[in-house]
Amino acid sequence: MVSRGCPTTGVSPTVTQNNIYESGENSASTALSVSAAMALAKRSLESVTVRMLGEVSEVSIKAGYKAAYFTVKDSSASLPCMMWNNRYRACGVQLTVGQMVELEGRFTLYAAKGRMNFDVFSITLAGEGNLRLKVANIAKKLQAEGLTDPARKRPLPLYPEKIGLVTSPRSAAVHDVLRTLRRRFPVATIYLAGVPVEGAQAPVGIIDGMRCVVNAGSQVVLVVRGGGSFEDMMPFNDENLARAIAACPVPVVTGIGHEVDTAIADMVSDFRASTPTAAAEAVSPSRESLDVLFQSQADALATGVRRIIAAQKAFVERASDRPAFRDPAFLFASEAQALDTSIERLNRAMPAVLEKNAIFIATARQRLVASGPHITEKPQAELSRNAARLDDLSPIKTLARGYSVTRDENGKIISSINQTEIGQRVIVSLADGRLDCKVGGIDEIDLFGRNKEINHG
Amino acid sequence: MDNARPVEEMTFREASAELDGIIRQIESNTLELEDTLKAYERGVALIASLQKRLSEAEQKVDVLMGELSGQQDDQIRDTTLS
Repeated sequence: MVSRGCPTTGVSPTVTQNNIYESGENSASTALSVSAAMALAKRSLESVTVRMLGEVSEVSIKAGYKAAYFTVKDSSASLPCMMWNNRYRACGVQLTVGQMVELEGRFTLYAAKGRMNFDVFSITLAGEGNLRLKVANIAKKLQAEGLTDPARKRPLPLYPEKIGLVTSPRSAAVHDVLRTLRRRFPVATIYLAGVPVEGAQAPVGIIDGMRCVVNAGSQVVLVVRGGGSFEDMMPFNDENLARAIAACPVPVVTGIGHEVDTAIADMVSDFRASTPTAAAEAVSPSRESLDVLFQSQADALATGVRRIIAAQKAFVERASDRPAFRDPAFLFASEAQALDTSIERLNRAMPAVLEKNAIFIATARQRLVASGPHITEKPQAELSRNAARLDDLSPIKTLARGYSVTRDENGKIISSINQTEIGQRVIVSLADGRLDCKVGGIDEIDLFGRNKEINHG
Repeated sequence: MDNARPVEEMTFREASAELDGIIRQIESNTLELEDTLKAYERGVALIASLQKRLSEAEQKVDVLMGELSGQQDDQIRDTTLS
């Protein structure tokens, strides 16, 4: 409990009475002014801080006032209270008649009217204190077990395609979540477990719902509910629910209420969102960010490919600029040079060879020319000799010497008397012409040169 | 790349992860030019598929427990934004 520099365990009669006694002794002989007496009383009253429980019976909160004025009472007493505006706003309680409240403050005196009232430092709704204490104890216990350790918190899936949703099926929260997911990431399938989120049975229902959506294949589970009072939120402070969340095989996101209060479920979950909508946003990429992402990815692809192509192009250009490709002659320069050398050597060698050959030919020609006449000498002599012989053998020469040749009418040479008969016509060729004759008689010549008349016509 | 899974058969997360890998590969400049072009083609197909899924998907709600009530109207104001 909060202490403001003074004991907070209630009024301490001893201290108060001691002050009175001291004042009384000091002023035994002298009468005090009213103001001085009131100041004395005020100092005494304000020296202690008091905590009390009471029911609000009157409330006066007006725009122009610097403080909230109200009265608390119990069955036999009532006490006017005032609370400076800044403190009232900070306490977060809306005062209404009939509320049971726990007040912390000090008694004070308003000297001008001689009225005592209670200067309130803080207000909480009665009963809440016990609940908060209980919750704080559970929190402490879970903390000691390490269940709230930030290191336990798992990262949420980037693109969950199966999302579990555990909440009241008849609430604005369920539609806030569905609408947000539909708008941002309609790709996801939602497994909804509609469970009560208020009352004593709520924790069991929520645990059941979580198990159900996890079994259906959810990759992340949202446990959400809309805003409410501290008491409304009590199911989310349940120890068993906290343990179920901590033990959940997939990440759990809580989005419980609008309040700044943190429920125990929030402390053990993997991500605590302040509202159901925020919880839905936590598990879904936004359409806008995805559009931007896809665009940047497409750009990265195109840029990467362009850069690679440019690099390859530069490489090809560099290569084509190399001497080997720029001047293909470079490739066989040495061979070409060798060829040139060979040609030159050949050219140098040729005339000498040709000259040698020319001399040889000239010599050969000379020898041939020189030997030419000697070649015809012998045949010429032979030819002359043969010509003479041929002349000797010519029948014309024989005829010229007085011989003749006799032929029959068919031109057949008659070389024997047996080839003719008396009266046959024969042709006698002489050296200078022919005689057309008739055989008048035939004489055979014997071996001794004697004629023997065989027949005469 | 040649025996890559058809894009339609992949989940959103798988397609997105492969796309990331392709971009990293292309940016690292370790691929042959031919493979780079193939990877680029694949990357473009993946992006197209992811965009299509987002624009054409219809939200699917499976009510496993309880009964969903009330309207699901996008026009009504988000209670948590007021």
